[in-house]
Amino acid sequence: MSNSFIIGQYVPGDSFIHRLDPRTKIAIIFTFVIVVFLANSVASYGLLTAFSIGSALLTRIKLSYIAKGLTPVWFLIVFTFILHLIVTKDGEVLFQIASYPIYSGAIIQGAAISLRFFLLILVTSLLTLTTTPIEITDAIETLLGPLKKIKFPVHELALMMSISLRFIPTLMQETEKISKAQASRGVDFKTGPIRDRVQAVVPLLVPLFVSAFKRAEELAMAMEARGYQGGEGRTKLRELKIEGRDLFVISLFLLIIIGLVMTRA
Amino acid sequence: MQKSSKLLKLITFSLLGTVSFLVMFLNFPLPFLPAFLKIDFSDVPALIAALIFSPVAGVIVELIKNILHLLLGGGEPVGVTANLIAGILFVVPVALIYHRFKGVKSIVSGLVASTIIMTIAMGVLNYYFLLPAYSLMFGIEEYNTAKFAIVTGGVIPFNIVKGIIVGLLFIPLFTKLRPWMERKQASFS
Repeated sequence: MSNSFIIGQYVPGDSFIHRLDPRTKIAIIFTFVIVVFLANSVASYGLLTAFSIGSALLTRIKLSYIAKGLTPVWFLIVFTFILHLIVTKDGEVLFQIASYPIYSGAIIQGAAISLRFFLLILVTSLLTLTTTPIEITDAIETLLGPLKKIKFPVHELALMMSISLRFIPTLMQETEKISKAQASRGVDFKTGPIRDRVQAVVPLLVPLFVSAFKRAEELAMAMEARGYQGGEGRTKLRELKIEGRDLFVISLFLLIIIGLVMTRA
Repeated sequence: MQKSSKLLKLITFSLLGTVSFLVMFLNFPLPFLPAFLKIDFSDVPALIAALIFSPVAGVIVELIKNILHLLLGGGEPVGVTANLIAGILFVVPVALIYHRFKGVKSIVSGLVASTIIMTIAMGVLNYYFLLPAYSLMFGIEEYNTAKFAIVTGGVIPFNIVKGIIVGLLFIPLFTKLRPWMERKQASFS
């Protein structure tokens, strides 16, 4: 489980991307997810690819590490490409695989869509790779701040998100420990008919729930003991601040969007 | 005292959200359906939250799970929205029926009702909204043109089977956890 799943693990570092304000990163990624759908020509895809790969390089995290984090989505990317090969019938027939014709349009479209999907996932994963959960939730809290006016529980949501993110590694270890403990008692999670595999999940979930509740109680007590009393009047150790590099990155990104609109076919 | 139980609740929802997110990776494709329709048990923690606390708690857990999925790079927006809606439609009816009638029987009838509601709603949503959105996102026309076949041949059987499998897991789990859940419920109220 842990090998196939390193996505979202923060990698400590001091790169340009690490030092950007988390609000800048979130705003850019949010916009990126939308503008990635604007690309429809070689030049516009090139621009987006250059931006994404450039940002990935700037994080100074090993590319192989980033690629490993994308493991769960490789399947989807390949699947999309193959589906395109099968269903798209544009352009001319290039060659045949077992008497099934493959069209040139299918390869182009398949490649374009797979690339779009890859860029989307790559850029979103950069956020969690270079930003601590605390920074992310701080940023979400300030970005959603205006919603407080309509009584939306912004602080509570941010608190919940930061706790959830923080406990992913802890609870993952716990899950692994429990499943090993149960496997040593003869529970088989991997093989057998579906009914048996479904039943095998019960002895995994019961201790997991009990321990999640126990941890929640401990954490609540620890927070109260330190005087936590909700979002009102809470001060922060690290204040978020927009600096020169944030403005630089934001203007660069705006230029890229303009470039995208201009290079569209 | 009021305040501390509120904080404890918030933390409990968060941890159940994390559990739900992790449990999502314990999935397996069904032998007779396309591989992207996968059964997972991530609705179970949300069900637990909804039964111990309230339907809203279940919705919060589903929300946390899907935000995590989106943030951590494993999900794309359409799939995540679909999962969120399906999860809420699955959890809320069970919780409403359980809180009204209590007991294992109410869970069974709740699960049946949920499966029916989820299946119908997801069929409609896929037909009018999700499949066209997928078609746009992945540039595959067939998701849109063949949507009737996909809904009747994929989405509907998938949701029925998912409801049954999650139900088959949840009923033994619930009978085992019931005394513990009732204790928790008492300690929170």
